[in-house]
Amino acid sequence: MINTFATLGAVSQNLALGFSLLTIILLSLYLKNNDSRLFISGRRAALISAALVVISTLVLARELIVSNFNLEYVAHYTSRATPLLYKISALWAGQAGSLLFWVFILAIYVLITIYQNWNSNQALMPWVIIIVISVQFFFLFMTNFITNPFTPVEAGIIVADGNGLNPLLQNVTMAIHPPTLYLGYVGFAIPFAFAMAAMITKDSSANWIRIVRRWTLVTWLALGIGILLGAWWAYQELGWGGYWAWDPVENASLMPWLTATAFIHSIIIQEKRDMLRVWNMVLIITTFALSIFGTFLTRSGIMSSVHSFATSSLGPLFLGFVFLILAGSFLLLIYRLPILRTTNRIESFISRESGFLFNNVVFIVMCFAVFWGTMFPVLTEAVRGTKITVGAPFFNQVNIPIGLALLLLTGIGPLLAWRRTSKARLIKQFSWPIMISLVGLVVLLLIGMKGYILVSFTLAIFVATTILLEFFAGIMARKRRFGEPAPLAFWRILRKNRHRYGGYIVHFSIVLMFVGFTGKAFDKEIEIAVRAGDKFHLAGYEFELDKISTIERSNHFAWIAHLRVTEIGAGPVTELFPEKRIYFHRDPDQRKRQPHSELDIHTTLMQDIYSVFSGYDSQTESASFKIMINPLVNWVWIGSYIFVIGTLFALWPPRRKQ
Amino acid sequence: MKRSKIAVAVVVVVALFLMWITTGTQGKEVPFLSVAELQSGDYDQSRFRLGGNVQSGSILISETDLLDMEFILQQGEATIKVHYNKTRPDLFEDDCEVIVEGEYRKNEFYADNLMTKCASRYEGDLRDENSYDLEKI
Repeated sequence: MINTFATLGAVSQNLALGFSLLTIILLSLYLKNNDSRLFISGRRAALISAALVVISTLVLARELIVSNFNLEYVAHYTSRATPLLYKISALWAGQAGSLLFWVFILAIYVLITIYQNWNSNQALMPWVIIIVISVQFFFLFMTNFITNPFTPVEAGIIVADGNGLNPLLQNVTMAIHPPTLYLGYVGFAIPFAFAMAAMITKDSSANWIRIVRRWTLVTWLALGIGILLGAWWAYQELGWGGYWAWDPVENASLMPWLTATAFIHSIIIQEKRDMLRVWNMVLIITTFALSIFGTFLTRSGIMSSVHSFATSSLGPLFLGFVFLILAGSFLLLIYRLPILRTTNRIESFISRESGFLFNNVVFIVMCFAVFWGTMFPVLTEAVRGTKITVGAPFFNQVNIPIGLALLLLTGIGPLLAWRRTSKARLIKQFSWPIMISLVGLVVLLLIGMKGYILVSFTLAIFVATTILLEFFAGIMARKRRFGEPAPLAFWRILRKNRHRYGGYIVHFSIVLMFVGFTGKAFDKEIEIAVRAGDKFHLAGYEFELDKISTIERSNHFAWIAHLRVTEIGAGPVTELFPEKRIYFHRDPDQRKRQPHSELDIHTTLMQDIYSVFSGYDSQTESASFKIMINPLVNWVWIGSYIFVIGTLFALWPPRRKQ
Repeated sequence: MKRSKIAVAVVVVVALFLMWITTGTQGKEVPFLSVAELQSGDYDQSRFRLGGNVQSGSILISETDLLDMEFILQQGEATIKVHYNKTRPDLFEDDCEVIVEGEYRKNEFYADNLMTKCASRYEGDLRDENSYDLEKI
């Protein structure tokens, strides 16, 4: 028995599926008969189907907010006590809801795309709509027939209170991490649709590239933010002291991001020099296929991952869909190769084009490395009969040199000229950065750095210098020409050339992140069980467990450790208060009480002192801790902020001319 | 500039990286076995990954060292004793689903990595749970 609203949601979801099908039929007929009334009706059907998706999602959100436990989904993921924010975030906490949410974002994108191209791109639009609505149809098929969020609880049962959301997920970051990731994943459907439409209509121009360029950048940014939020949350909440575990689900989000990064670089070449047309098609197809593949990895249960979703029957469907996308689009690509070929060639190794080309190669290689490691258990099981896993050691070993190659190219690429770079320009551009990084290299050697760490820091100095010199040169040029003071000149060059300088800011943020990643090599860790008054040492610091106090808060009970941290030979540094909490401690049902370690971090620009209160035995008064010294981690997060600022800068629309 | 020169360079770079990646798994391979496979088989290496559930009531924590712990890992009918002496994840408890990685010695497993996958409470089948206030009409 479900109420009127829930029925409205369920029916909207059914109708959305029907209208999606109708859209595809009408627009196919239009393409056959060229009767513009069919196009108008088809477009309307698309708008209606998207609107119906929005309605059914909003209804599900309403049911979650008002706690309509007659819906199985609502009873699963919320309880009366769940705070409002997490009632809403329950929309994407479970399988059925998250798939509907996926279509919801797609529907919004469909509405925007149709609206933006209302009077333009008449030739492309019918195909674009058919393609995105087909994707919508696929997901709606699943939410309607396989995992329906509007399924009522079994007849004859009344649920007085629901299950509640895992307290680990009751965190603001965790509430916004999935939707930002989804904004990214789903967004690649639009460039994909335009690329396919361009190929089908034999439009070999860079027209679709111009349409999708900003779109791709927004999508790429959203995916990037999603990934970084996940990393940040893992570091702040999970208490294992790291931010990236090379878990299959993390990898699933990284792979499309890598190919998309390659794409946003290589579209510049197609725009400026009309080259790499085929390659750009390959990238956009791969990126979209990888986003669906990522959803497949998450849902199918073929991977053992910490991101647990219930194993379901969706796996084969998703895999089939990925194959369909790949087969269909690559066949089309092969068929259209003759019209995609260009006559422009890369003229020199030492050119911007060549820099972009190698940047692309390295990004794809890195994506392959991640793919190889992620799929290794599946591949070995198929070939050798035994599932063989490779963990973080493999990913780190393989990706460090690839990442360093990328870092090097980040420094070199932007300084090269289009077509070919003259010797004089090479000397002018590179002599300072090389000299400064050589000085840096010597200093690093003197303080005892070696191996990858030495290479990484030296490259960081090199790339940072090239970027700063670019800014410096731009500012000086304006100062000379217009006599502007430096800060004004700085602002003006930023404003005049958003893409270029926004890009430099993003590159700079990547340098900072690499500095943070490199800090990982210096991590120190101790796991220890102690009693109040005990002292222990780690990396030149003394930790003393002063006492353990207790406190009862509204939904949990906590033991708070008072850890005094002293730098040996230098004096007190800080006091840390990691907590061991028991959520729902008053619940009579033991099984519903949940322990949680709330960690405490002392952060400086140089390092984090990271403390986890991992266990407490109130009988013996013995407490166990995990303490880590994580150098330079903060630069990963500082880099992340700058990454966002730089990208926003690059994609902010220019002011319209009056 | 001949097109072929760039193409050759790209092919060489890609080939080198591919070799680097595919050989990179050597020495880092850890077989993911079932408990029964591990106990019945004869393996060269000593490092494995196992999955299963924590047998109810089997968790034993040392009285002298809070970190030192052992439990019985159950997968179907097969069981194995697992030792673990590091920080336990918050979600580690009776019945929860775990993945352990470590060494197999004398019919016991010494894990140095323990991952829990314990969201079953939030993901499972509603009708299987006894912990809700369900009332028949």
